[in-house]
Amino acid sequence: MSTLKHQIAEVIEKEPVALFMKGTPEMVMCGNSYRALNALTAVGAPVTTVDILPDPRIRQELSEISGWPTIPQVFVKGELIGGADITEELLASGDLQRKVDEALGLERAQDVKVVALAVDS
Amino acid sequence: MEAETIHALLEQAFPDAAELDVEDRTGTGDHFQVTVASAAFEGLSLLDQHRQVNAALAAPLGDGSIHELRIRTRTKGIA
Repeated sequence: MSTLKHQIAEVIEKEPVALFMKGTPEMVMCGNSYRALNALTAVGAPVTTVDILPDPRIRQELSEISGWPTIPQVFVKGELIGGADITEELLASGDLQRKVDEALGLERAQDVKVVALAVDS
Repeated sequence: MEAETIHALLEQAFPDAAELDVEDRTGTGDHFQVTVASAAFEGLSLLDQHRQVNAALAAPLGDGSIHELRIRTRTKGIA
């Protein structure tokens, strides 16, 4: 099985839009994760979510990769966009729409999905 | 953690800040909204501006004494 860090890096690299959050879209466990998810769906982005709560190592490894200390974290095409505040600010300014349109094209899927990481016990 | 402690850390990191505000959002000393307006942000992306604020608060973020941090940054002089 690949290491946790490798799995996280793979999600960041391969998923068009990755959202590392507390909880899942069906059961969001944190207001800021909710804000980020809403901003992304508002611009019609497909969102791949990863719940960081099952194991504290997920957040640890993620922050080592991204250099970003807090949750949520939003990536578009492998590039860190920021947390909830930045994502909302970019939504308000129209930059989030532009960024997603440019990175993913206008004819894109808009589904929200969940990826569970395999964590060694 | 007191809002004043956060304020002091930000003052150290941004000695020339035109505006520096820390609000304890919940009154519980762990959910903060910080606003920093500084010329140091000139020419930096929003991401890098927030990175600087996160770096200034790395210690309380790292040891869990800040549970939630909301950041608003502004370039000096721009509303």
